[in-house]
Amino acid sequence: MIQLFHVSKIYPPNTAALKDLNLQIAKGELVFLAGPSGAGKTTLLKLLFREEEPSKGQIIIHGKDVTKLNSRGVARLRQQIGLVFQEFKFLPHMTAIDNVALAALVTGVPRQESYTKAYQLLRELGLREKYDAKPPALSGGEQQRVAIARALMNDPMVVLADEPTGNLDANLAEETMRLFRKIRERGTTIIIATHNLDLSQRYGTRVISLQEGYLVDDLSPLKEGRTE
Amino acid sequence: MKGSQLGLVGRRVCSSLWARLWTHVLTAGTMAIALFVFGALMLAQENLQNLLSGWGDQIQINAYLDKGLGAGEVSLLRDKIQSFPEVERVRHVSREQAWKDFRVALGAHSHVLEGLPEDVLPASFEIFVKPDYRDGPIVEALANRLRKEKGLATVEYPQEWVDRLSLVVLALQWAKWVLGGILFIAVFFIVRSTVGLAILAQKDEIEVMQLVGATEELIQAPFVVEGLIQGFIGAGLSVLGLWFLVLFLRDQTLTSIGLFGSLGQLQFIDWRSIALILAIGSLLGASGSVFSLRRFMKRWKG
Repeated sequence: MIQLFHVSKIYPPNTAALKDLNLQIAKGELVFLAGPSGAGKTTLLKLLFREEEPSKGQIIIHGKDVTKLNSRGVARLRQQIGLVFQEFKFLPHMTAIDNVALAALVTGVPRQESYTKAYQLLRELGLREKYDAKPPALSGGEQQRVAIARALMNDPMVVLADEPTGNLDANLAEETMRLFRKIRERGTTIIIATHNLDLSQRYGTRVISLQEGYLVDDLSPLKEGRTE
Repeated sequence: MKGSQLGLVGRRVCSSLWARLWTHVLTAGTMAIALFVFGALMLAQENLQNLLSGWGDQIQINAYLDKGLGAGEVSLLRDKIQSFPEVERVRHVSREQAWKDFRVALGAHSHVLEGLPEDVLPASFEIFVKPDYRDGPIVEALANRLRKEKGLATVEYPQEWVDRLSLVVLALQWAKWVLGGILFIAVFFIVRSTVGLAILAQKDEIEVMQLVGATEELIQAPFVVEGLIQGFIGAGLSVLGLWFLVLFLRDQTLTSIGLFGSLGQLQFIDWRSIALILAIGSLLGASGSVFSLRRFMKRWKG
């Protein structure tokens, strides 16, 4: 369960990115954060994995107030959250499997175990032949799958994705969404920030719309009578 | 830290050292120079201290005889001095013996004496003081008593030199820490900048590691180890440099002019001093890294 109580984020000198946000996301939900650029989607994701701290309010993830974590606590939180970025954030000098295994190595999982799991994930995501390729040698879709594999390495309770299909063509975007739905079947909460309304309407079990930092809409399939 | 994390730290250290090899070599070289200067002052201090304690152990008074003294008078005077309670024994050094001793002391440079008359040096008594009386004021009082004896032209004792050299040793000790301190501060800033460059070069890697949940310790450890290795290698090089300096001085100069020849060879610094230099080097390297990390991590956190 993710809970936000009266969360605001103001960047100096006086730019409000989020304003008095109240939100609850249940375990295993697939949620889209929709809204135009500058609506506060990325800021909200950053608050959830504690890259940013809220100016006001409280954020509780699985019973823990993430606004009160020390640096060790933040590291532990991030080990339980899988992150997928539009620009992937790989280490280009490392191979795909190195990039994926890194997520487990930093938590202290033995090297062999980390690499075995990384290989399994890459195989599951259809990258069996590309595990030792370096990211620049991979296509956009392949890089996206490597990023997803890395996000899944530590069996996260939450996956946060920021515009994960932003750089992909329609087919690859479709494929990526299928992957997210498959991940959700494991009971993982997935929060995807996107400005692609079509995508959010087609796949979203719940769409939270933000505009200028305000929550303007929270449509669940039950309310709207929509099914997956 | 777990095994796989240690492995990760090790690999990051190796790749960083390899990627910026020349920067690290230059930094280690700078550290080596600074620690060499510190070590050279330490070397001089230790050897002078050894020299002083050597003199202290065999404390003696040299009493030079009047030129016209006959053999009988010399013998009487010798017996009289021998009877003093502070005196252990008296050795008569004739003019011929003094000349021979001087030639031996000059060693390879004894040719500079060619052409000089062999009786140019005065005869003397070497007066050895009993161990119980080897104390500054007692030796000084004895020397003053000897100065009043007829037949003795000049009385010298090494305490004056011991006092003067003690001051030199003290000055070296201060110079070592003052000069060393200034150099260490300079080295600290150089290491800090080097590690800062390494951190900037690995900014993306650090960011990715932070995002996947690496702890601050895990992110910082490779840089601290890097600084530690740099410092240790720099210190090791300075010790090696000091060793070559001692070999050079032993072969080329000091023994041949006889300064240390009579009291044993120029000594290399002892293991405690070597350990101190290695510890200072490692500490400088590691602390430079820690301060650099604090600066950059703070900046990134905003």
